[in-house]
Amino acid sequence: MSIHASALLRLSLKSLRREWRSSEIRVLMLALAIGVGSVSTTGFLGDRVDRAIAERGGDFLGADAQLSSPNALDPDLLAAGNLQQSRGLEFASMLAKGDAFQLASVRAVDSHYPLRGKVVIAPDSASPGRVQNAEPKPGEIYVDGQLLPLLNVEVGDTVEVGAAEFRIAGLVQDEPGRAGAVFGLAPRVFMRLDEVGKTEVVQPGSRVSWLYYYAGEPEVIAAFVKDSKTKLTSSQRLVGGREGSEAVSGAFTRTSQFGSLASLVSLLMATLAVALAARRYALRHYDHAALLRCFGMASADLRSFYAVQLLLLGVLGSILGLLIGFGGHWLLLQSFAPDLAERLPAISAMPIVAGFGSGLLALSGAALPSLMRLSQVPPLRVLRRELLPLTRAAWALVLLSASLLLLLCWWYAGSVRMVAIFVGALAAFAIVLWALSLLTLQSGQLLRRLSPGAVRFGIAQLLRHRYAASVQLGAFSLALLLMGSVALVRTDLIDSWRQQLPADAPNYFLINITPEQNEAVNAFLAQRNLTVSRSYAMVRGRLTGKAGKDIREMVPEAAREENSLRRELNLTWSVELPANNKLTAGEWHGDSRAAQISMEDKLAQRLGIVLGDVLTFRVADRDITAPVTSLREVKWDSMQPNFFVIFSTGALEGFPASYISAMRVPATDRSTLPAFVQTFPTVTVIALDRIIRDVQQVIAQVVVAVELLLSFLLLAGVAVLVAALLASLDERRREAVVVRTLGASRAFLRRSLLAEFLLLGLLAGLLSAFGTEAVAALINAQVFDLPASFHPWLWLLAPLVGMVVVAGSGTLATRRIQQVSPAIALRETA
Amino acid sequence: MDTRLQQDHRQNAVQQHRLVDGQVTNLPAREVVRCEGVSQRVPTSEGPLDILTDIDLAIQSGESVAIVGASGSGKSTLLGLLAGLDTPSHGDIWLDGEPLRALDEDSRAALRARKVGFVFQSFHLLPALTALENVMLPLEIAEIVDAEATARQWLERVGLGNRLSHTPRQLSGGEQQRVAIARAFATQPAILFADEPTGNLDRATGAKIIDLLFALNTEQGATLVLVSHDDALARRCQRRLMLVSGRLVTEVTT
Repeated sequence: MSIHASALLRLSLKSLRREWRSSEIRVLMLALAIGVGSVSTTGFLGDRVDRAIAERGGDFLGADAQLSSPNALDPDLLAAGNLQQSRGLEFASMLAKGDAFQLASVRAVDSHYPLRGKVVIAPDSASPGRVQNAEPKPGEIYVDGQLLPLLNVEVGDTVEVGAAEFRIAGLVQDEPGRAGAVFGLAPRVFMRLDEVGKTEVVQPGSRVSWLYYYAGEPEVIAAFVKDSKTKLTSSQRLVGGREGSEAVSGAFTRTSQFGSLASLVSLLMATLAVALAARRYALRHYDHAALLRCFGMASADLRSFYAVQLLLLGVLGSILGLLIGFGGHWLLLQSFAPDLAERLPAISAMPIVAGFGSGLLALSGAALPSLMRLSQVPPLRVLRRELLPLTRAAWALVLLSASLLLLLCWWYAGSVRMVAIFVGALAAFAIVLWALSLLTLQSGQLLRRLSPGAVRFGIAQLLRHRYAASVQLGAFSLALLLMGSVALVRTDLIDSWRQQLPADAPNYFLINITPEQNEAVNAFLAQRNLTVSRSYAMVRGRLTGKAGKDIREMVPEAAREENSLRRELNLTWSVELPANNKLTAGEWHGDSRAAQISMEDKLAQRLGIVLGDVLTFRVADRDITAPVTSLREVKWDSMQPNFFVIFSTGALEGFPASYISAMRVPATDRSTLPAFVQTFPTVTVIALDRIIRDVQQVIAQVVVAVELLLSFLLLAGVAVLVAALLASLDERRREAVVVRTLGASRAFLRRSLLAEFLLLGLLAGLLSAFGTEAVAALINAQVFDLPASFHPWLWLLAPLVGMVVVAGSGTLATRRIQQVSPAIALRETA
Repeated sequence: MDTRLQQDHRQNAVQQHRLVDGQVTNLPAREVVRCEGVSQRVPTSEGPLDILTDIDLAIQSGESVAIVGASGSGKSTLLGLLAGLDTPSHGDIWLDGEPLRALDEDSRAALRARKVGFVFQSFHLLPALTALENVMLPLEIAEIVDAEATARQWLERVGLGNRLSHTPRQLSGGEQQRVAIARAFATQPAILFADEPTGNLDRATGAKIIDLLFALNTEQGATLVLVSHDDALARRCQRRLMLVSGRLVTEVTT
């Protein structure tokens, strides 16, 4: 007999309303809401930024297409006659006023810039800005407002840019690409392209970018981009529309990619909680289902009966999750980039659909097996309770839900390879963590023997539900471990790296020193008695070939996207082996005049380059070919000028070169730097301390965002804890009744539960502290080349957080047990 | 409560002291359970339901009493009330001289911990704990020192000295009930309540358990109150109280 659809729907809804009070239904829905909340937080954010990029790609670039080149372009090279054009030059330069100076990112533009998007300039800090052309009047510049306090100037004051003086005529409030460049470090300065010469900053060999902007009809642009790409050299880069804005927003994209993976972990953990809750729901409803079948409900109807309820729960949970996600993304934007929030387009339907989709997918994946078993309960169970549902199709169901969950991972991770890596790593990690958790729980045995009644009872409970406890322990350890790791990155790793730098390591780099200035600079530094590195000539060149073939074909596949192949390297030449370098293979070329190359050994290893390989470098517009005759180990954290590639003397002579030097200026010396900048206004001074601090600040910002995402993980951990607790709730309740009957007070029960949760939290904290130390040691070894260090506060804080969170949520979830009355002992538990 | 009863209770208290001093055998019998006009009425969707009506009874120290009756006659409810697991809707109960009405649930728990032992039909051992720990639990709850040695000793007395570290799952039904009996006697309770102690056991094992229960009861001089369908078991008690539809109808003394 089949039931009419509307009757079935009514029946399902009625049943769900009745079930509403049961904890597993609520836990299931909340867990789902946490998971969906986590993914839709990053979903909303990513979607808005993505659409900002897609819809207003030109606004990000300042044009429909942009060509950047290290040298000026032959005007006849590209056929851009039917396009609007603009030209610019971007370089780093010092701005100085009296004793104050600051490195800035200067963009020199013509009167057409920007072709797309807008530049907003304010006449002073108090007035609103207005949209206008970025080119100032002659003798004037527009600067980023943050420069004013750094240089101690106001709008209207005059500052030096290199060798020339300019009046600050306005403040840059907005410019193309600014929204994406959340992490821009050097403040912006706009000046006239025709006044760059006056500054004397740009010399042959200087590190500059020529920028060419094009705008026009989309198809004309597309044809132009396609046609031009074939004519460009490897050091020139032409990007159009979306492509360009992606470059602009690269940092953001990477962050959000990481964010979406982090939130996927939360979703999967929440899914675990959903699965646990669904299982408990099914177990509790076997009798109910058997009765319904006994009354004549067909298996298919029973399936629909539960599926409708599940679907409804999924929809409710997802809506709740979307609301959480909206709040989360808003919070992230506000705390992280408040000015970005106003510029982004409104929410679209896409992340809402995605949130719903992931919610329902996760729910189906997690709950389907339990649900299916429920609908296959044999009606005979009403007479013989030991009859369990058929499990014939169990493996098929597990396969089905596994593929649903994989689909979910694929959705977020993007590529099959990423899914494989992600799922593989997560599975391996979960297994290791689970094994560790089981081992850790063994240590509870020891405590059990030593503890008094209530505590012993609590510990015994924990050990008895060992598998559930290890899942809880694993979930919490993972959440705490990830949170601990990012906290450590924020607070400790960079600091400890900085502290171990040699005391006399240079703290200022001097670059863009012209050959003519080089001697004067050296004399200046010698006169001031500073610790100075030797100065090196620097020529920019790109590694293009090996053994006469394109280098990309010659390197291992993994190295094809290697950064050092995509950009120009700083090349130098030297007779002596630099002091902090150590030869690991071959012979140092010394004063040999024959063209020879010494390469950094790790780069050579990555690129598969060995002694004797003949490499081709493209320098300016010429090719230089030389064999590799030695490999060097470089101590990068010496903070000296270091080079991947050092040529023998003579090979690079005649190319436009600039010089680089490094010096240490003690914090107490306040006169040297201003004097240096005044004497050599065109030399770029890079303050390492400030860069490290800025990087640290950026990382701290990112970490705050990531921590917010990880708090979802902690919540998902709580959901797992509660869901796993629910599974043992009936049994615990029975046992609590017995203990109460034997004369134990409520306080005894409370103490024993508290002991159980505190121990669980303590173990989770210790396990995660251990894991965090391992992660930190790995980062130290891989990134900073430092030995592992010990963080005592971690071993205090992690267990403390673990105990508070686990005991808090556990006590709440079991509060009914603590209030159980022995009056029902004989009636209910017989 | 009238004056006479209060005096009784004072006497009981005195006797209690002498009990502790170890002069068990020479003392005159005294009431360990007293029940006056006890009714239990529970609300149901079809109006209130009387489970017990106007029960009066007194059980003397050292007595063994069986509560018998058909299923649903209120036996277990009465046992629960006598043991202070629940409070009656009407009437008063004194347990070893203490008026239960005056005590809140935690105080009743404390009273149970000191004076009451339980044996259940389904054993109710805690699966997380070993046999030894199960027996230690009420000792620890009652804050009796040297819980472990006492528990060990009791397990030896019920013949399970070599199964101390086994969990209930590793024990047979009879062995589990023996652990439960050790647990019940370990605190040396004044009164022992047993709810269908052989209900889940086969006849042979049940008989052994009953022998053990009565042997220990006699030896300890404790009062035994048990609920049972089992006629053979009920007959071994000195008195049998018959419940019919919540009323005490006959009292058989042997």
